[in-house]
Amino acid sequence: MPVDFSLTEEQKQLQALARRFAKEVILPVAAEYDEKEEVPWPVIERLHEVGLLNAIIPEAYGGMGLKMLDEVIVGEELAYACMGIYTIPMASDLGITPVLLAGTEEQKRRFLTPLTQKPALAAFALSEPGNGSDAAALRTRAVRQGDHYVLNGTKMWISNGGEAEWVVVFATVNPELRHKGVVALVVEKGTPGFQAVKIHGKMGQRASGTYELIFEDVKVPVENRLGEEGEGFKIAMNTLNKTRIPVAAGSVGVARRALDEAKKYAKEREAFGQPIANFQAIQFKLADMMIGIETARMYTYYAAWLADQGLPHAHASAIAKAYASEIAFEAANQAIQIHGGYGYVREFPVEKLLRDVKLNQIYEGTNEIQRLIIARHVLAE
Amino acid sequence: MKFVAVIRQVPDGESRLKIQGNRVDLSGATLILDQMDEYAVEETLRLKEKHGGEAIVVGFGPERTEEAIRTALAMGADRGIHVVYEGFADPVAVAEALAGVIQEEAPTLVVTGGQQADWDSQALGAALAEALGVPVVSWTTALELEGETAKAKHDLDEGAEWVRVRLPAVFTTQQGLNEPRYPTLPGIMKAKKKEVKKVAFQGAPKVEILEETIQEKTRLQKILDGKDPVAAAEELVRLLHEEAKVL
Amino acid sequence: MVLVVLDHDGNKLRKGSLEALTRARALAEALGSKVVGVLLAEEKAPAEEALAYVETLYTATLGPYTAEKWAAGVLAAARQVGAQAVVAPSSRQSRTYLGRVAYALKAGLLEDTLESTVEGGAVVATRYAYLNRVTQKVRAALPVVLTVKPNTTPLAEPLPTRGEVKTLEVPSVPTVEVLERLQEEKKGVSLTEADIVVTGGRGMGSAEAFRLVEELAALLGGAVGATRAVVDAGWRPYSEQVGQTGKTVQPSLYIALGVSGAVQHLAGMNKSKYIVAVNKDPEAPIFKHADYGIVGDVHQVVPALIEAVKRLKD
Repeated sequence: MPVDFSLTEEQKQLQALARRFAKEVILPVAAEYDEKEEVPWPVIERLHEVGLLNAIIPEAYGGMGLKMLDEVIVGEELAYACMGIYTIPMASDLGITPVLLAGTEEQKRRFLTPLTQKPALAAFALSEPGNGSDAAALRTRAVRQGDHYVLNGTKMWISNGGEAEWVVVFATVNPELRHKGVVALVVEKGTPGFQAVKIHGKMGQRASGTYELIFEDVKVPVENRLGEEGEGFKIAMNTLNKTRIPVAAGSVGVARRALDEAKKYAKEREAFGQPIANFQAIQFKLADMMIGIETARMYTYYAAWLADQGLPHAHASAIAKAYASEIAFEAANQAIQIHGGYGYVREFPVEKLLRDVKLNQIYEGTNEIQRLIIARHVLAE
Repeated sequence: MKFVAVIRQVPDGESRLKIQGNRVDLSGATLILDQMDEYAVEETLRLKEKHGGEAIVVGFGPERTEEAIRTALAMGADRGIHVVYEGFADPVAVAEALAGVIQEEAPTLVVTGGQQADWDSQALGAALAEALGVPVVSWTTALELEGETAKAKHDLDEGAEWVRVRLPAVFTTQQGLNEPRYPTLPGIMKAKKKEVKKVAFQGAPKVEILEETIQEKTRLQKILDGKDPVAAAEELVRLLHEEAKVL
Repeated sequence: MVLVVLDHDGNKLRKGSLEALTRARALAEALGSKVVGVLLAEEKAPAEEALAYVETLYTATLGPYTAEKWAAGVLAAARQVGAQAVVAPSSRQSRTYLGRVAYALKAGLLEDTLESTVEGGAVVATRYAYLNRVTQKVRAALPVVLTVKPNTTPLAEPLPTRGEVKTLEVPSVPTVEVLERLQEEKKGVSLTEADIVVTGGRGMGSAEAFRLVEELAALLGGAVGATRAVVDAGWRPYSEQVGQTGKTVQPSLYIALGVSGAVQHLAGMNKSKYIVAVNKDPEAPIFKHADYGIVGDVHQVVPALIEAVKRLKD
């Protein structure tokens, strides 16, 4: 099979669109929404206008049918301007993916089409206050009563949870069954007993809304169940195997921004009578950032390619996500170091990069969980 | 009706330029649809949306210019024509090359950028108008069709004026004419299926580039602290008077 | 023959015309040829003044300016005298109608040139390209049409003897109909020819605050400039805009007040001899391009500057 690293003409255009959008629409407001800890609806509306919101929805349901490689190209560009803002469309794709993977034709039409007709979001609710990484230990209960389920419990750290038109909620019909008891239910906004409480005081990614979702006797029709009872866990894992790849892409974007900011500062700032970029101590840091960016991007593209080819990609997406988020964190850290005291204050953009990208090491499976996935793959061979 | 936008691909104003062998080397630069030409594309799209017909984008330049043509198609232009030429060509030669292609389309009007962001030329619209034997309205800030004529507002050296012109005519753009739309994702996907006809360059450049250099003037960079505005102003005026001798 | 287009404001030749004359004379000398002038008027033109500079002057009164009429006028003169070169001061209008002329003559068009010489029967000129960031040396065989960038060339001196006027027959051409001229209130000197330009940016804060810019410009005998953000906000007319989509200026002194220094703005002024910046943000890119600067609030610094200049003048 030939190895071809070139982007198609459409991918180049897509990249140019995302880059321009990031620069003109996101960059000017990123610091403001970070400061206010508020969801930037005007940006979401513009994302919808240019077709970049929920673009993974297939054309049959009114979307653009973007492939994973397209998505990572966009993700890197948007995250370059603000990882927190990029998390909003990314988390919406996270909500959409289980419907794509396990939804019936009718469900896809019902849930996905409206997300292409207006600026609207989806969300994905797996973590709970008492368990995150141990997803099979979830406690939210779904009890079948006739043609519906009754949902009770609490979900935690849910991106877009309060904004989403609907949330894919993973619950158990019987905790003793562990992962075999999990069911995936689409809970629509405004369903009685469903409440979203915004979590305030986040360290970074403050433009993305993160919520605690509370379910009190929420009636969910059986038609809203994705797959069968007991398939929920598999749906969740297959979803995350894919959606970790955009997290990696976002990390690459943050790392690239860190390098650009560090480079700019190093060329301007003088010490001992010359720009600090002349010093090897600084040059090595810049070179290390570059090594990280190039390798992480290459591997992210590879993971995306595997996913697009329908080839196994669980371990590749885990490697991409863990690796890219770590090189990005280190790049942001070194960018601050290069800025010295100026890097530690909000007047310069680099401290935000570190605050934002820290989350990339945590959400959609901590990097420790990613290593478990990778190790499992190693040991299975 | 047919509305033609004439476009070129140029380096982004913010990308760094290098000189390689006495010539600007664009290999590392980000290349974009010239922003002044982008107004032209947008204007033809608005005219088409209002009056019906077809928006055609005509691009001149090397093979890579197709990217800029595709951008215009993604914005909504219906089809493209690419006159391919790999080197520098002056506006007179470009107008010569494009005139035949444009005449064949018999357009209602032609719009192009007021100034090119690479060769800093302002003459293409005028030269093209001469080649087509029609009037030119340069630095246009407003344009309305009125039957067989168009009413346009355009900048002069001092001030501006409203003119009426019988169509066809050539208009060159000025900032303020419109706010160009983004090439949307659906637009990009649709553009894939749109036709871009390739035409070989006919003609010979009349101007030749001998050498290109980047001469960045070294600035003195004497920056004063303005905490005491009166003292800083006093010092600045002294420097301008005694050192720079410009006051 | 070398044909020089003499631009004017109805009463006086513009400074640029005298720069163009200097260039035209140099080209004529190198080509072993002579300079002939053309003076086109809407209603009236300073023919008497022009006759001090050229031996032969073609004149025509053409009514309201349009690119077509002016192109026809220049073309008629060029054909009449068999011009090998047409030289004109560079302006938006001249660069428009001379685009037509160049095409009609199948001439090499050398726009907005800094210098020009004759080498081996061809004209070699330098000019800026890539938004004023690159200097190009270009060559064109005769005939050429060449425009002269303002403030690049010494002004021509009058000739010892007065020239003669010839009336030019200009054929009528299809052109635009001028409906309404929106004359902007003329304040002080023309932006592109001014030796000092004082520009206000978004940092001025409001249209009202431009009183300070105007006052400083008037005091220095300079012109007022504005950035794109400012004209977009409607604080100042577009004709005052300096930058990629505005005018290009090259004065001895360029004072940027509350201007951040975006690339598009730099494109219009980066060749100024001295650049002064006042901005409260020490990180503003404009400082990288400044010879002198003050980090401070324009609302405090500019009044202080005005006072300091007044004291200097006293």
